Amino acid sequence: MKVLVVTRSGKELIKGGLQLNDSATVADLQEAIHKRTRKYYPSRQRLTLPVQPGSKERPTVLHYQKSLSEYTKGSTSELTVVFKDLGPQVKYSTLFFFEYLGPLLLYPIFYYFPVYKYFGYKEERVIHPVQTYALYYWCFHYFKRIMETFFVHRFSHATSPISNVFRNCAYYWSFGAFIAYFVNHPLYTPVSDLQMKIGFGFGIVCQVANFYCHLLLRNLRSPSGNGGYQIPRGFLFNIVTCANYTTEIYQWLGFNIATQTVAGYVFMVVAAGIMTNWALGKHRRLKKLFDGKEGRPKYPRRWVILPPFL
Amino acid sequence: MAGILSLVRRIYLSFYNWIVFFGWFQVFYLAVKTLKESGHEHVYDAVEKPLLLAQTAAILEILHGLVGLVRSPVSATLPQISSRLYVMWGILWSFPELRSHILVSSLVISWSVTEIIRYSFFGTKEAFGSAPSWLLWLRYSTFLLLYPSGITSEVGLIYSALPYITESGKYSLRMPNKWNFSFDYYYAGLVALGIYVPGSPHMYGYMLGQRKKALSKSKKE
Repeated sequence: MKVLVVTRSGKELIKGGLQLNDSATVADLQEAIHKRTRKYYPSRQRLTLPVQPGSKERPTVLHYQKSLSEYTKGSTSELTVVFKDLGPQVKYSTLFFFEYLGPLLLYPIFYYFPVYKYFGYKEERVIHPVQTYALYYWCFHYFKRIMETFFVHRFSHATSPISNVFRNCAYYWSFGAFIAYFVNHPLYTPVSDLQMKIGFGFGIVCQVANFYCHLLLRNLRSPSGNGGYQIPRGFLFNIVTCANYTTEIYQWLGFNIATQTVAGYVFMVVAAGIMTNWALGKHRRLKKLFDGKEGRPKYPRRWVILPPFL
Repeated sequence: MAGILSLVRRIYLSFYNWIVFFGWFQVFYLAVKTLKESGHEHVYDAVEKPLLLAQTAAILEILHGLVGLVRSPVSATLPQISSRLYVMWGILWSFPELRSHILVSSLVISWSVTEIIRYSFFGTKEAFGSAPSWLLWLRYSTFLLLYPSGITSEVGLIYSALPYITESGKYSLRMPNKWNFSFDYYYAGLVALGIYVPGSPHMYGYMLGQRKKALSKSKKE
């Protein structure tokens, strides 16, 4: 079949269009576009079906695994697709690795090196046990995240624009330094021993639960990167859609109960806000997809992210 | 129902703009009068009341944008109003040692002239449906001079305040404390000064763009 590739302004990206097998997939089309345009490798391409001008509906995005014939509505042997350049892309694993590396390396700097000298404090300081445990807890957390990135998470073939590397690293690295500064401060005031134990104990339990959630999510996806949605089941997922975010937030709560800094709590609130945004989107998507019609299961009643609030 | 609501909106905004206009007019008048009669050291004391009132009232404009009463995006009005309130309350009002500085006069004149034009422009538009072309021209041209003079005054005053900020320890929180938090108003001042570096060309460029749009549109009509 013949495929015409146009940009959003209407210009033809590839003069004369492309010739593909009738059985070709979107991935084949992306390869063909890449071959002709060199610069636009497949993960940079966003291909959509054209919409009527003035129409408010969102354009249909072509999925790389689907066959092109699914989009021609059977009748014609010619297909027009609209191309958008998403800009240079990086793999999610690359993005995650760099954003987590910052906190992992920056925090120990405040613990081990005489950083506070440059803020005008005397070099001698007493290190409280909680500060040492906080170092281990924090570094373990980000080490775990990096390991999960490479060995546990199954990414749905997705990439991220390179600008997100700068944005996300700024977020993680700034907050990392912000919290590290206060927890390791020479004038740090520790909480009671009991409170520290409760905080870290609770935090560790939540980190383990969080890891288990990630394992469950991993098993929802096949290794071939199908990327389709499934209803999450088992463990906390039976009561909360985004149990992985829930355990992550509560894990930070544990850290904050043990270390008690405004900086730590601010970070937890901001992170919870970001994750809540994602959770609402995921919950809605799942409810819409699993509507109980045409043989599809109906999505069960569940908390979105933070029982008993949301 | 919609017609009555739109009328109420027009009446409210007309009142708002003309009342604040009057406040800024007072500021300008008192500033010039004091400069002529007593000298720049006394300008702050003369204008303090109407200045604090008129500038603080601008918080309402953020609300107007949020609820959709006016079209201006909150992303443009929020930084503008925040910087004004910071300089006025956080620097001038908080550190009386600065009040006799000559930059106070240039600040107050830059701000009041800009606001007189801006509020009368919006007040006329809301009350009469449109504003005369000379007022439109003033609104989109005086910033060419008044932005640089205003920004220079703001930066100069923040900079001059720094030693007094350190000395007084005002608005700063020191450690040790139960919540392991500290805040240094001096460093916050440095950060504010830093923001002016990319912020000023950004705002000036934005106004240049608005000027082009507004003045070419009026030419077409």
